[in-house]
Amino acid sequence: MTMAISKKLLFYLLLTVSALLVFSPAIIAFLMSFMSSEDILTGRIIPETWTLDNYIKAFERFPLFGYLINSFFVSLIIMIGQLLLSSLAAYAFVFLEFKGRDTLFFIFIATMMIPFEASIIPNFQTIRGLDLLNTYTGLSLPFFAVAFGTFLLRQHFKQIPKELKEASEITGMGDLKFYLTVVLPIAKTSLVTLGVYGFLTSWNMYLWPLLATTDDTVRTVQIGLKQLQSQEQLNEWGVIMAGGLIVVLPTLILLFLGQKKLQKGLTEGAIK
Amino acid sequence: MKQLFIFILVAFSMLLSACNSSEGNEGEGTANAKGGEETKGKTEVTFWHAMGGQAQVALDEIVKKYNESQDDVQVNAEFQGTYEETLSKYHSVGGTDDAPTIVQVNEIGTMSVINSGNIEPIQKFIDEEDYDMSNLEANITNYYKVDGKFYSMPFNSSTPVMYYNKDAFKEAGLDPEAPPETYEEVEAAGKAIKESNPEMKGFALQAYGWLFEELLANQGGLLLNNDNGRDDTATEVAFDNEQGKSIFKWIERMMDDGTFANYGTNSDNMVTGFLSGDVAMFMQSSASARDVIDNAPFEVGVAFIPYPEKEERQGVVIGGASLWMSKGKPEAEQKAAWDFLKYLQKPEIQAEWHVGTGYFAINPAAYEEQVVKDAYNEMPQLQVTVEQLQATKPSIATQGALMDMIPEERKIIETALETVYNGGDVDEAFSTAVEQVNAAIEQANTARGE
Amino acid sequence: MKEAVMIPEQYKQIDFMKVKKKQKRVRFIKGMLFLLPSILLFSVFLFYPMARTLYLSFFLTDNSGATTVFVGLDNFKNIFTSPIFLKSLQSTFLFVLYTVPGTIIISLFLAVIANEKLTGIGFFRMIFSSTMGISVAAASVFWMFLFHPTMGWLNQFLEALGFEAIGWLTNPEWALLSVSISTIWMNLGFTFLILLGGLQSIDSHLYESAEIDGASYFYKLRRITVPMLSPTLFFVITVSFINAFQTFGQIDMLTRGGPQNETNLLVYSIYQEAFKNYQYGTASAQAVILFFIILLMTLLQFKLGERKVHYQ
Repeated sequence: MTMAISKKLLFYLLLTVSALLVFSPAIIAFLMSFMSSEDILTGRIIPETWTLDNYIKAFERFPLFGYLINSFFVSLIIMIGQLLLSSLAAYAFVFLEFKGRDTLFFIFIATMMIPFEASIIPNFQTIRGLDLLNTYTGLSLPFFAVAFGTFLLRQHFKQIPKELKEASEITGMGDLKFYLTVVLPIAKTSLVTLGVYGFLTSWNMYLWPLLATTDDTVRTVQIGLKQLQSQEQLNEWGVIMAGGLIVVLPTLILLFLGQKKLQKGLTEGAIK
Repeated sequence: MKQLFIFILVAFSMLLSACNSSEGNEGEGTANAKGGEETKGKTEVTFWHAMGGQAQVALDEIVKKYNESQDDVQVNAEFQGTYEETLSKYHSVGGTDDAPTIVQVNEIGTMSVINSGNIEPIQKFIDEEDYDMSNLEANITNYYKVDGKFYSMPFNSSTPVMYYNKDAFKEAGLDPEAPPETYEEVEAAGKAIKESNPEMKGFALQAYGWLFEELLANQGGLLLNNDNGRDDTATEVAFDNEQGKSIFKWIERMMDDGTFANYGTNSDNMVTGFLSGDVAMFMQSSASARDVIDNAPFEVGVAFIPYPEKEERQGVVIGGASLWMSKGKPEAEQKAAWDFLKYLQKPEIQAEWHVGTGYFAINPAAYEEQVVKDAYNEMPQLQVTVEQLQATKPSIATQGALMDMIPEERKIIETALETVYNGGDVDEAFSTAVEQVNAAIEQANTARGE
Repeated sequence: MKEAVMIPEQYKQIDFMKVKKKQKRVRFIKGMLFLLPSILLFSVFLFYPMARTLYLSFFLTDNSGATTVFVGLDNFKNIFTSPIFLKSLQSTFLFVLYTVPGTIIISLFLAVIANEKLTGIGFFRMIFSSTMGISVAAASVFWMFLFHPTMGWLNQFLEALGFEAIGWLTNPEWALLSVSISTIWMNLGFTFLILLGGLQSIDSHLYESAEIDGASYFYKLRRITVPMLSPTLFFVITVSFINAFQTFGQIDMLTRGGPQNETNLLVYSIYQEAFKNYQYGTASAQAVILFFIILLMTLLQFKLGERKVHYQ
């Protein structure tokens, strides 16, 4: 299917304008990360002198590399945990029929409404009680079960034709096998989406990793970013922006790869 | 059925073991990095702080120096977020093994920590060895002396000062070496500046409770009753009078003149506004002095904060933070921590801290150190911040108010200031604020359950 | 006669019921096994804190959060008579009203234009989803500079066009809107990604057959895209609602609840009470109210919304 040139141009125009609008705050950050603080504080838009000082400083300020690895580990663990638990739960909500299923689903959804700020102190006490402060487990365990993921996957699982399930029952396929060999492959795209989402939100977490750690052993990059900010002194925005960009870069790469995967998974998983 | 169960079990245990093994490795890695062998036989002191940015660089340097200076104590300085985050966390672990030996708490957290009962007043150590606190800057230690007793060791301290644009002053025909001292002079200077450059506003005051408190203290006004909460727990506000209102009236007059610049609660925006020539004067912490002077494309002047003409200048209340010792720690650990606290007060360390961060030197002997003298030669304005502190007349007003609900009071005052900035009625905004602060005091007093 | 017939049927029924009952139990256990890990973790990390919050809402606490005085429903009475809290409720609702439709409409537009098969589309998709990769803290800093009263790009742009500069974050009439704009931007990436995923899973045959019938672009959009996207849309709306109610980070960075409490959203107010004022009782009472508001809204949404959703 080919498109008329004029239509194509129109789409490119729309895409470019939207991309510029969406990306402009990030462009500002990019420019600022190369400015001296005088340039920033006097409100220049284009740097008068381009400097790499901010990047050098950001790398000197905290064990950035170690923090990046920690962030990667924590995000990965949370992502796997979420995918596993959510897909299991979503499967139960869509393909199994049992008493109280809908009530239970609603209770699951209700957990999304508990403001994180209200549960953070009791959770901190729990993790401390389990002696999990300063561990990857302590950082990730509270986020394994997410109603959000269950909800997302439920919406997608619901679109899988019921006939498939009935057919599997006739051939005597167990639920676990059906879940592993039929449902998961079909839902590949939504699993990738949830995976990317889980990874990125964990990557961007700040308050919990800060509370659940007291030293640098398992600390993540967002805490590092916060360390670049001062309380009573002027902030070095250039350094903060440089640090911010270093931290954002891996997530952008992941998004780009995720996009590709998403498309690929779509063509492969087109069983319908 | 069984299949499923086993699957879940296996998957889960795999996941958890994966976390644990990697965490084990990491743990070892950093322990070594910290000098695992060196720490053997040393008393470890954990020090929680809230110093980000350049202050952290300076602090880490000092801690490193201390650790290298002797063989008995190893201090581990650990960043815990903002002051609020650090204090919340400290409250949650207070009295347990996870509590640090030393914690940094900002000045308004003072009563909150004392009330928690989880700390050991440093007075105990002062008494034990007759440590002479009078060597330290009286205008700083006054704040931290509660009921005649030292609870914590002052550390990073600052006060607000008024920054002004000397070039703009010259252009407006004002004397750049004689900055305005009173509210009225600030107003007049603002008008002159606006006349010479309609693009530039005269004065900016960030909507920040701390600045209100300082302006109040500078005219001798008290914030809370019962001597600013120092004689006994405060039961209501003490600023419901002309002194308290004068600050709001002053802003209103500048608003009417069109010389007031509104940056809301955002101090970064205010500083950028000043540096790019949108406003000629503003009030901000003395700790930013070096950065402001460094980054300005014009000559920056630093002046004392203003007061109403009919009052007399009293001076400023100290802000910043102090260091607290945890209760229930082994004696050796507390002793080690005390040793570190004393180390921090050495003139050469304080000189380094003062020059590196812009915070005051708690030990005035530091001002005689060569590094400080060099810095003052380079930027004479820095000295004004210290002069203002040392010119402060010790009184209950300048000693500062103590209460655990001061953070809430600040928030309420900020709202009132913003109301005035946006053209709200001064009397109404002021009386609402008084009412709300009184309610907050009452709530805090009931909540303590005493 | 009648009885003679009835008896065997009754037996049959009992037998059948037994089997059914057994099946039911097996299915229940099976369901529970699938849900067990989630339920376990929910109980520890969500239900327990929730119960604790509810408990704390009836007390006053000291600064470390230990209960001191039992006050019954006083915390609730106090906050409902407090003009600050009522204002905060109002701001929260307005904020939700601005951000949810805003985010969804813009993201849908972006998803639709990014769903075309064009060369280099992957790049645009990455740009559009990029805001999801930027943490709230970092994003707030960008916006703080954009909103700067004199040097911000927004005001410079306005002034270049001859308009008067706006106090984006300092003017009470604009602040909530400004914060909403930055929030829409922050949520854009995620919503876009989910909607794009939804669009891509629509069977292309549907479009092809519509094209044969000569359907216009907008006809296809209305008759195929939106209905087929409805499960995804339903999901996105629900999640956006909940997220909007729980917005916090950008408020702390951009306005600290000001000017004049105009942007003092509920969760920010909870955070203030708990982490700055150490009034855990009041904070808990507010959290309980927030919980019930979101619960009610979501319940409504499920009752009204899910009926309209078109599952395959």
